[in-house]
Amino acid sequence: MYKLVPSICSYCGTGCGVLFEVLDNRILGTLPLKTHPVNEGRLCLKGWSLHEYVESDMRLTGPYLRINGRLHQVTWERAIGFAARRLTEIVDRYGPDSVGVLASAKISNEENYLLQKFARAVVGTNNVDHCARL
Amino acid sequence: MAELKDLVRQWLESGRVDLFLGYKEVAGHPLPYAFSRDNLEEVAELMVSPARYPLEKLAANILKARPGLRIGLLARDCTRRAVNVLTIYNQVEPGQVELLDLSCCPSRPQVSCSALTPPEVGEVKRALGLDNRLTPEQFEAIPAPERLGRWLYEFQKCLKCYGCRDICPVCFCRECSLEHGELVEPRDLPPEVPMFHWVRAVHMAGRCIDCGLCEEACPVDIPLRLLYRQTNRIVRELFGYDTGLTLTQPPFSVLGVGPAEPREAAGKGR
Repeated sequence: MYKLVPSICSYCGTGCGVLFEVLDNRILGTLPLKTHPVNEGRLCLKGWSLHEYVESDMRLTGPYLRINGRLHQVTWERAIGFAARRLTEIVDRYGPDSVGVLASAKISNEENYLLQKFARAVVGTNNVDHCARL
Repeated sequence: MAELKDLVRQWLESGRVDLFLGYKEVAGHPLPYAFSRDNLEEVAELMVSPARYPLEKLAANILKARPGLRIGLLARDCTRRAVNVLTIYNQVEPGQVELLDLSCCPSRPQVSCSALTPPEVGEVKRALGLDNRLTPEQFEAIPAPERLGRWLYEFQKCLKCYGCRDICPVCFCRECSLEHGELVEPRDLPPEVPMFHWVRAVHMAGRCIDCGLCEEACPVDIPLRLLYRQTNRIVRELFGYDTGLTLTQPPFSVLGVGPAEPREAAGKGR
């Protein structure tokens, strides 16, 4: 029914320890993990409000595709198919360096690895950057 | 400790409480943990943690969603003071929360409290700011204009993380004046100095129970505990009110003694 779940903040690459208050499978609040070696019981504004985005109605939970100027929710298959087709067209017409890939601190190391692999081995470009390099 | 565990087991088995918030080691960290009749065998792992979490705030959050529950808390002296204040301000009802007292006088060997380890203070902070370990007497020995300068040095470090408010066991307002655009400019970093901290300091008068969790949560080591101690010192000297030690209304309370009437019920009478 009620539990406190330790986790890692998903906002940036620092990796602060957080603790979620979970009641009936809904997150009520976020606390800093006091004994975590990275943040030692402190958090920034974003870390403190993690629960707000998890439970937000505005959160995107599936892929959207812009069709005739408006966003429509579509299946993953259709979204990935569309992206693959357009990327191939762009690479064929303008060359691989016309594409850039923006990786993220909000995904895992493994996913970031796959993303740069995709850029280098599939697209053929070194244009890889990261949202945390502000 | 064995005695404590027996008591917790007894409280849960007899139905005196439905949930007991204590501490247990999870993944190598001492974490607050909810014991209940469904996991009685885990009571054997109940522990006292040096890292303090606002258990009473967690309990108040649970009670907002499940007002029928009775929750037991492993309570330090600061927990008891906080529950008194939460009761005065109608955030918990008498009987919803039961405290299992843990003596936290530093002379007792079983005491384990993060507030007993003073933070290290560096040279720059000593020269320009305020040492977090200053007693109110040492603080008042500093000439007043210099004190203000030192406070401003501390305040301008603020990251506006709102951690002091978010961890505070007696901060519960639905609308927080720290997020009010007219009082505190949104976007700006550092926040409007000193308005931001003074708004909070004024709100802590007659409410702060001196647990020190705000200072522990502050990423830039602002001596918040000293600030609120000074505020409450005025309350004690002018009104003779000791925050958290009694269940009497604070001198500034404009609230009634009972919980607020639900909006629907209030509407029906008209």
